[in-house]
Amino acid sequence: MNLENVLLVSALIFAIGIYGVLSRRNVVTVLMSLELMFNAVVVAAVAFARFTPSAGLVGSAGTVEVEALRGALTGHAFAIFVIAVAAAEAALALALVFAMYRARETVEITDAATMRH
Amino acid sequence: MTGAFETPIAADIVFWLVSVLTVGAALLVVTLRDVFKAAVSLAVSFVGVAGLFFLLQAEFIGIVQILVYVGGVSILIAFAVMLIRDMAGGSLPVRKSQGVAAATVATLFFAAIVFTSYSADWNRIDQIDDPAAVAGLVGAYTEREVMVNGETVRVVEPADPSDPAAQPGVLIDSTGVVGTLLIREYLLPFQIIGLVLVASLIGGLMLMRTRSEEA
Repeated sequence: MNLENVLLVSALIFAIGIYGVLSRRNVVTVLMSLELMFNAVVVAAVAFARFTPSAGLVGSAGTVEVEALRGALTGHAFAIFVIAVAAAEAALALALVFAMYRARETVEITDAATMRH
Repeated sequence: MTGAFETPIAADIVFWLVSVLTVGAALLVVTLRDVFKAAVSLAVSFVGVAGLFFLLQAEFIGIVQILVYVGGVSILIAFAVMLIRDMAGGSLPVRKSQGVAAATVATLFFAAIVFTSYSADWNRIDQIDDPAAVAGLVGAYTEREVMVNGETVRVVEPADPSDPAAQPGVLIDSTGVVGTLLIREYLLPFQIIGLVLVASLIGGLMLMRTRSEEA
């Protein structure tokens, strides 16, 4: 397990998500593929936090400030924000799907290409 | 301290098993016709990603992943699938031309990311040679206060190797470090993200509301 291998897995999940978003015609499946892409990005962020050093830790001689150690986990903070945005997106998008289903009795994307009533 | 960052063979095996599970479940999500089965394999994929986080020594992110994705987003999607009658017959099959185009774009994107990640010269954690930094990252450290230019600074130094609590291993207390990061460096984004969540939930409620004259 090194940085390249984790990035490989992350890229695979992201590519699968792209395929799902572009090819599926059901809105809910497209949303699921979007969540997969969010997840792939978070995996990459955590992998960089795990395998690459933060600036404060390189070239310091003898002592390391505690603040520099905190900088080593910036990727984790980034992951928290992405997860929060993804959760907000999921709630709002599913509400939109329901609204669309109520208005036009369909959840197929091609049927909803226009937003008119 | 060389070798402190190398992962044991067992961790490698678990990593590849979890990766195969995650990627396989993700493939099922985009290929299954039955939307409910796709939602279930999406939940499996989320659990696999949580496993990856634990392997990457990000316990807190792993737990958040299980709470938010497996416990929240999956359930939300499952409810949506069950409430929308249209989905009982499954999703329409993928149009052939659209499927080929989507696969091409996905493959190109994958190739670009993999090429970049294998050819780039990343800063490697193995390049750290300062014993204090190594000790700090593997968790075998103690904190001490020193005076620098009249200011008190907390520094890290390698712990006594005979202390069993200071053996190299998981980055100790990554949860506490992430919490400190969120309320110090990223306080404003942290507050804004809460506002975004509230706004999106209220927006969702407004969209779902049936007006009394309609109902």
